[in-house]
Amino acid sequence: MAKKEDPPKKDSEKKEEKDKGKKEEENAAPPLPPLEAAGRRLERLLGGGLSDKDRTLHTYSNPGKVVRRWLGTASGASGGATLEDISAAATKLLDPAGRCSAGRVLLKAETAAETAMDVEGAETPKMKEAGYLSSSADREVEGWLISLMVRLLWKDNKFSEAFALAQKGIDILMGYLNASALKITSMSGVSAASLYPLLARMFRFRSLVAESLNDPAVAASLRQDMARGQNMACLRRDVDCQATLINLMLQDLLNNAQVEQAQKLLANSTFPDSASNNQLCRYLYYSGRIQSLRLEYTSAFSNLSQCLRKAPTNTGLGFRIAAQRLLIIVQLLMGEIPDRHVFLSKGMKRELSPYLAITQAVRQGDLGVFHQVVAEQVTRLQQDGTHTLISRLAQQVVKAGLRKLHVSYSRLSLQDVADRLGLPSATSAEFVVAKAVRDGVLDATIHHEEAYVQSHDLVDVYATKEPAEAFHRRIAYCLTTHNDAVRAMRYPPDAYKKQLEASRGNRRKRNDDKTDEEKAQELEDELDEFD
Amino acid sequence: MSSLENATSLLTKLKGLADAGDVEGGKATLSQLKIAMLDFPSSPEHTKVATEALELGVLLTVSEGDLDAFARSMAQLKPYYAGGGGTAQKSHILGLNLMYLLVDNRLSEFHSELELLTDQEASNTFVSFPINLERQLMVGIYDEVLNAGMNVPDPSYQFFVDNLLQTVRDSIADCVEVSYKTMKIKDAMTMMKFDTQKALMEYVQECRDDWIVEGETLCFQPPPMGSKASDIPSMKLISQSLSYATEMERIV
Repeated sequence: MAKKEDPPKKDSEKKEEKDKGKKEEENAAPPLPPLEAAGRRLERLLGGGLSDKDRTLHTYSNPGKVVRRWLGTASGASGGATLEDISAAATKLLDPAGRCSAGRVLLKAETAAETAMDVEGAETPKMKEAGYLSSSADREVEGWLISLMVRLLWKDNKFSEAFALAQKGIDILMGYLNASALKITSMSGVSAASLYPLLARMFRFRSLVAESLNDPAVAASLRQDMARGQNMACLRRDVDCQATLINLMLQDLLNNAQVEQAQKLLANSTFPDSASNNQLCRYLYYSGRIQSLRLEYTSAFSNLSQCLRKAPTNTGLGFRIAAQRLLIIVQLLMGEIPDRHVFLSKGMKRELSPYLAITQAVRQGDLGVFHQVVAEQVTRLQQDGTHTLISRLAQQVVKAGLRKLHVSYSRLSLQDVADRLGLPSATSAEFVVAKAVRDGVLDATIHHEEAYVQSHDLVDVYATKEPAEAFHRRIAYCLTTHNDAVRAMRYPPDAYKKQLEASRGNRRKRNDDKTDEEKAQELEDELDEFD
Repeated sequence: MSSLENATSLLTKLKGLADAGDVEGGKATLSQLKIAMLDFPSSPEHTKVATEALELGVLLTVSEGDLDAFARSMAQLKPYYAGGGGTAQKSHILGLNLMYLLVDNRLSEFHSELELLTDQEASNTFVSFPINLERQLMVGIYDEVLNAGMNVPDPSYQFFVDNLLQTVRDSIADCVEVSYKTMKIKDAMTMMKFDTQKALMEYVQECRDDWIVEGETLCFQPPPMGSKASDIPSMKLISQSLSYATEMERIV
């Protein structure tokens, strides 16, 4: 699902990008390649960079957050990067003698075949002047560069290389985490949190590549590995990996149509509250899909509509279309007709057109038309994975048709009902009508001998308890809202005393005034009366 | 390889017993076979033998009419199907499982199972039979469901269809009592598919004691009684009005 891959950018991030641009101008030094610049920026952000200590931008206590924000801003730099750029950046930034040498070798190996690499020895003097990254950011930059390379390989359809690299990248990052867990008392133990967003990103890329590989053996091994990774993420309180891995597992299960399993995963795992909005959106979409397949339409509806509300409005169109069409079907299955403007919103019109046709068929209430429309669109629906859901709609079609007949005719023969709704026989129609009466869709009586349906006269609603109950519901709602509002108000301490005294004074004064006035009034009245 | 040979011979024996309809003997052989399966390595031949054995086990529970045992055997068999294994019997077994879920009214699981089917499997008569039944039940075309008993794809389905008949009868009775005022007993018999009047009467006495039998007709809805003062929910209205008053007091 490539359409869900890129996290949408936020305004704040764009602004930061601009800031970065300015800073680079200020530097006025020979312009660094964008990747290297981004790497150095992260180093400063994380509080390292001995050479320019005075230019440390901020010191954060939460390195995970820093990296997460930095990843957003760095996506501009990484957009146009090629394999050569990445390996060049790796040779410049990562110290071959340091702990990140493994990543350096890996990154260089990918391009070794394409570019004649310099001899190791010849490079060294050049390195000295540029300077490798200090230990504050080298692991992060290494992980980042590997993830970029995985993405590039994936885009070039080199799936098996990409997968192998992603796997190695995960191993490297996991190795750092384990190492820092061992020396938890030292400084490095604290800063390992900055690797979490990168690890989550790597997991995501690996699943993406694995999906393109489409190999059941790989998928099976990943399933086990992801469950283990999720377990570790929970133990480390690693919110990024937890959220990402839950979503990846749900996606994997849903792709394999393992709805029962997915439901169990959903029921037995907790999605972290502080996860990023994008992951939350995905989670809501997956849970909505699972619930809709399991006939839990109400909860599916609430999850999907929340998902659409939280989804970014400027990007991720494919995701929004997927969520929207599922929402339309769920609404139809609940017996509601979605609003027309839903089908006409920008960019979705063409994609949703089959669903518009289906909605119209449901509204019309003719089984024949409905089956025809579904048959026309069947390949499209199977592609969208909505065909099984759509085929459940027949029931709603019949209901809509019956309701229409019910309002238009007061008395109708069963044969006519069968003809209108496209049912096999009058006997079937009789049963269908009987069921509709029981479900409360119609208010009618069937006369078996004469084979017709008699609609009941409309009851005067105002002669029933209904208006009183509706009134009560609304009043109760208003009162709770008022009470909640009062409860939510904040009061500065002791402020009420002043007010109390003021009002007391006022009241006394007003009382006095009033009594005088009243006395005058009374006198006047009395006088008038006597006159 | 001896374990495989041993198991294969047991399997042939089991097949013979199942064909002959010897449930007890089949169960005994199956448990022997299951013990042998514990030592199976995961080679394709072994998996095939195990799958076939468990499939026969499922069919045995159906002929015995034991729903719980059926569910257990299905649970044992499912991992083999999930692993991509499949024999000629697969769609038959899947169809039976769908029937079981339908009879048990576990519709969400029913639909989850449907998601797992490929198009080819879904168009198989063994599988499409329960799918059609479910659609008819949902729409309310009960007469087709009742007639489905006539053309089951395999005798093993009969057990589930009979079970379903009882459920459908209850649904029909629910529908009939709200949508008709009266009905001839003869018509009720055909609608609910009772063979004799006596069977219908027994059913009415057992499950529907509020139906009134008047000679040749059944009466469902007693004539409406006149409105009484007790119909007015006075206490409720009073408490509602009082609660409005207290709340208003609080606001003002």
